[in-house]
Amino acid sequence: MSFDLHRPATVTEAVDLAQRFAPTARYVAGGTDTVIQINRKKIDPAHLIDVACLPGMSEITETADAFALGALTKYRSIETHPAFRGNLRVLLEAASVVGGHQVRNIATIGGNIVNASPAADFVPPLLALDASLDITGPKGRRSVALRDFIVGPGRTNLSPVEIVTSIRFAKLPARSATAFLKEGRRRAMEISVVCVAACLTLEASTSRCASVRLAIGAASPKAFRPQQAEGFLIGKPAGKESFAEAGRLAAEASSPISDVRASAGYRRGLVAVMVERALTTCLQRIREQNQ
Amino acid sequence: MNRKILNIVVNGESHQVLIEPHWTLLQVLRNEIGMMGTKENCLEAECGVCTVLLDGKAINSCILLAGQVEGCSITTIEGIGDPEHLHPLQEAFIECGAVQCGYCIPGMILTAKSFLDENPGCRPSRDEIREAIAGTLCRCTGYRKIIDAVATAADRIALSGAKQ
Repeated sequence: MSFDLHRPATVTEAVDLAQRFAPTARYVAGGTDTVIQINRKKIDPAHLIDVACLPGMSEITETADAFALGALTKYRSIETHPAFRGNLRVLLEAASVVGGHQVRNIATIGGNIVNASPAADFVPPLLALDASLDITGPKGRRSVALRDFIVGPGRTNLSPVEIVTSIRFAKLPARSATAFLKEGRRRAMEISVVCVAACLTLEASTSRCASVRLAIGAASPKAFRPQQAEGFLIGKPAGKESFAEAGRLAAEASSPISDVRASAGYRRGLVAVMVERALTTCLQRIREQNQ
Repeated sequence: MNRKILNIVVNGESHQVLIEPHWTLLQVLRNEIGMMGTKENCLEAECGVCTVLLDGKAINSCILLAGQVEGCSITTIEGIGDPEHLHPLQEAFIECGAVQCGYCIPGMILTAKSFLDENPGCRPSRDEIREAIAGTLCRCTGYRKIIDAVATAADRIALSGAKQ
């Protein structure tokens, strides 16, 4: 284990360093994954490029119709931000189940995304919000939808010299709510056995589903949106019967593995139950907002 | 080796340390600066005994590269009180009998301090305290008294804040 630690002052400088030292360079932010991987000898970079202190990448910015989260935003900042106590609660709920406070004070949401763990807790909420990523690389900037960004377990379409700088998503229309549910073997400090994020919008004057976005983590090689379940719900009355059917369809679309945490069958069962519960929670929240 | 100078402030005192790039903050605090109250155990941010405050916020020093905290301010257990002037958390831990073997206690107290400092004057519920210290393990399993101690300290800090 021997590497040089570089501390660029700007994104451009960071990208230049990564290009100069590719392919033995690697970016590090909070380090809560990277340093452990180095200690376990899973990775052995000769150059670590510290992006943690790059300016302007830790801000949570709200505009009239959207939010932008700097890629270096810490989970604890999401958890304690007043903007995520309303219909964007899915973000607060997911941020608050990652590790302990010590990890949440330093680990970054951008790090969680680029790691692309199938069990990453912060990815399903962002998928359910249809988020997109702003990326800077040697050729300039580009944007990509999160659903296209993660391609498999630990794999993304980010080149090793590119940096995710921010995550953007639109605000939700009226009569919308979100929810995040996680199941593990214990209540804290746990990797998800399955996690589910849901975003539900009801039609203006009925209790029918106008728009539904679901995202499921740890039940496939990458977190995914069960499109059949989502499509089934459009125009259906929001309630137990339709939510249970959506859960069944989502379970059918999942492709979980058996591992030390749970069997594939158990995971599939969880998907069905958790999708139904997440949607039920959204519905309750919409009703509470309108009281 | 490729040593570099690191400037950090530890418990209010400035230090210049010659470090290797792979050294963690934990290694620097214990081996170079002599702050032995910060403990080492899992080295994977699972157990919390290495917790220190980085610019006031609890973090795991075992997986933070020292080179990443250039210019930052660190508080260790040695920095929050002394035998004559105990921090309210330290007082409460003693009074409540919250210390068994003691190995987790520096991390426990600093984790609690970071949490209480986030919301000055707050009186968290027992569940909120449990959640706040979830990243700090006590293998003596003395959690009940630890939670008593954090709740006691929070009450006192809230009261003294209200008087001021």
